[in-house]
Amino acid sequence: MSEVIKKTLRYAASFFLIVTLNFAFPRLMPGDPVKNLIGEDVYVSETVMEELRAEMGLNMPLYNQFTAYIGDLLRFDLGYSYHLHSPVAEVLRERIGWTILFVGVSVLLGTVLGTLLGAYSGWKPETKANRLVCYGFIALSCTPPYFLALLFLEIFAFKLGLFPFKGFYDIPTPENIMYHMFLPVTVMTLFSASRNFLIMRGSVIQEKGQLYALYARAKGLYDTAILFRHVMKNASLPIITLLALDVGFLFSGALFTEIVFSLNGMGTLIYDAIIGKDYPVLQGSFLVIALAVLLANMLADLLYAVADPRVRRPA
Amino acid sequence: MMQEEAYIRERPRKWKDFLAHNLNLDIRKYKRNLKKLNRGGLFLFTFFLILALFPSLFAPYSPTERFIPYEAPSTAHLLGTNDIGNDILSELVYGARISLMVGFASASISTLIGLMIGLFSGYFRGTPDELLMGFTDVVLIIPKIPLIIILGAFLHPSIWILILVLGLLSWESIARVVRSKTLQIRETGYVKSARCMGFSSFHIMVSDIFPNLIHVLLPKFMLATASAMISEASLSFLGLGDISMKSWGIMLSFAFSRGGFIRDMWWWYLPPGICITLCVMFIALMGFGFEGREKENGKRGVDSE
Repeated sequence: MSEVIKKTLRYAASFFLIVTLNFAFPRLMPGDPVKNLIGEDVYVSETVMEELRAEMGLNMPLYNQFTAYIGDLLRFDLGYSYHLHSPVAEVLRERIGWTILFVGVSVLLGTVLGTLLGAYSGWKPETKANRLVCYGFIALSCTPPYFLALLFLEIFAFKLGLFPFKGFYDIPTPENIMYHMFLPVTVMTLFSASRNFLIMRGSVIQEKGQLYALYARAKGLYDTAILFRHVMKNASLPIITLLALDVGFLFSGALFTEIVFSLNGMGTLIYDAIIGKDYPVLQGSFLVIALAVLLANMLADLLYAVADPRVRRPA
Repeated sequence: MMQEEAYIRERPRKWKDFLAHNLNLDIRKYKRNLKKLNRGGLFLFTFFLILALFPSLFAPYSPTERFIPYEAPSTAHLLGTNDIGNDILSELVYGARISLMVGFASASISTLIGLMIGLFSGYFRGTPDELLMGFTDVVLIIPKIPLIIILGAFLHPSIWILILVLGLLSWESIARVVRSKTLQIRETGYVKSARCMGFSSFHIMVSDIFPNLIHVLLPKFMLATASAMISEASLSFLGLGDISMKSWGIMLSFAFSRGGFIRDMWWWYLPPGICITLCVMFIALMGFGFEGREKENGKRGVDSE
């Protein structure tokens, strides 16, 4: 039980840290906080600046500002983007659905692909084909995600003309969306599979040295039966931990892939915000992504408890 | 049955051979491959290191010298020229130094922080351990790249700030590994006797525990370098890099944003990308190799007991 309390405390602390960071950035960074809060390229007169300063409460003591900030957050008020002329929360709401769909599909596919291939490769690590696959995945995991995306875009969209190179859809039908999403999803799937593959491979190599695998062999089970019915279950536990830690990493990978393929998700939003120095949008995006990662970690903890009975039982 | 089990426990080496034979797993062959991997990585990495240390030996021109822009590969310019007429091969050679420097410098920072936090919390245990590891867990959850993006956007980074930020944000996994290893080492005989003889905690940490941590630290350091290089390349792609220091990431980003991609100039955008991938891969392979050897040593230790 104390484990649960400890976990909850840590998540609460993480949440608090994220919110505090988000609060502190525009106020502590060099430059005028008003400029930092509305974005640098917005031109306003001195009087408007002073009005904004009063309105945003920047002349109040810090703890008053903090409580006001928390109050805004509770009302889902993430500030106003002067570049896009709309509240940040609204902009984010439009974009985040696509990104979550994109990340979700590719992580799911990548996990399945990486786990299966990794299990096979770990079972017989010394065969030529498996070693080749292993080198391939190591190379993939060492490639910056956006370079991989660029290569795919160049080869399959420009050179071969098989796929469109821009956007989520021309006409919003499921087939058209799938057609447009194929390349980016492939890139992200490979990217997430490469990480799962390496972990799964090592984990299977380790697990098959255990006595229960030997016992299963002594019972006369076939290789596939030992692998999929006995070894796989135990070997896939590290994958769950990895998935939780990796969500943030995959999320950022997805941002880059979106930029390369000009998909209108969070990635392009952040890219435009960096170029336009649109700080409110950047901050809002960071908050939303960090919270999504936090939630994913909590989910993985729950999943781990379901998958591994040892975690549920008090030791 | 009991006898057999006792037999297996007594002779781990034999048991392993039996296992290898029955599960058609040839561990020795696998190990040999691992070693080859490590050596290959080391060899090729040395090449990049030499490139980074003595760029003037390999680069045909200075990276700032200007020729006709957008030229295709020829004998004079093996990889053509870019948008402002710099020779791309020379740029590539000089970029090695910057990319590697960012990787190693920020990995050094994160390894140092991870080492200190892990050592401290593993050695003293109790409340400091709870607090430090709690803090580590809390920091671990925050997504790094978005955080760096925000910091980068506010700070307009020079390369030093980039190194500092990357280093300060990636020490958590190192701290955890160091801590668990320290927990093991502090129970060994030599640490206990050192404590009985009245050496200070600091002295024990530095001269008894630290030398035994190097084997764990080295692969972690390598992997941290690899991931820092990828992060740097990614940030440069977003335009958050230091334009005055042309790393491979910046070259790639320029090729993307300044027309190399649209003009189909593969000699501009492919080489830096391939260089990043290969260099990161060699460093990671070296790391994997060290890690494998470390596991190997650990097992042998258990066997001989």
